[in-house]
Amino acid sequence: MVTRPDRDGDQQLRLLDDAWDKASQHWHDGMTRQFDTDHLTPLLRESRGYLEALRKLMDMLDAAERDTEG
Amino acid sequence: MTSVHADIDALKGLREALVRYRHAQREVASRGEEEIKVVRASLEAKASRWRAQLEQCQAEFGACQERAAQAAAGSAADGPVAGDDPVDCSGYAQAVEQCGERLEQIRRWQQRIDAESSEFQGTASRFGDLLENDLPRTEEHLLALIRSLEAARRVQAPGA
Repeated sequence: MVTRPDRDGDQQLRLLDDAWDKASQHWHDGMTRQFDTDHLTPLLRESRGYLEALRKLMDMLDAAERDTEG
Repeated sequence: MTSVHADIDALKGLREALVRYRHAQREVASRGEEEIKVVRASLEAKASRWRAQLEQCQAEFGACQERAAQAAAGSAADGPVAGDDPVDCSGYAQAVEQCGERLEQIRRWQQRIDAESSEFQGTASRFGDLLENDLPRTEEHLLALIRSLEAARRVQAPGA
């Protein structure tokens, strides 16, 4: 079964979150917080915004297909 | 992981995760765009079918109305003939109406999808820019950190 791209994107986001959790257990020097603030947080925020917009659009496409069947 | 290089290994793991993330999300974005194209094409094909159906229904309705007019003219000239039913075109009229409604329903979905897709393109474009430009810079930044940590350890190692 083919999964929707937005759901695969969410899964990838969770994997990156997990990777960050794992990395931050061992990497906690002065650069860690700066990396989080300057790079990771904006990346996760932008990714979540995109995936939410993609989810809404995919929901609409599914509804359009269902509503115009037959 | 308890080695003295655990932080370096952690950074390497994070960098690899970011590279995988970039490739995977690029694929996600591409599939999203493809899905929009597929549904647009599907709706256009449905609209085309219903337009053809509507034309056929209109032609049948027109032919029925013509028969009804001829029958009415015949009745007026010759008087009603026993056994002749009046021509009923209401079924054809209903079919025309139904086809028109289906076509209109598809047209409304097409308009909604056009509007939403257009709005989505702004978000998608920012995300694409992040994947193509920002994320590689982040990966490079991590690589520089890894190299500087490795270099520092090599310097420290002889006296450690």
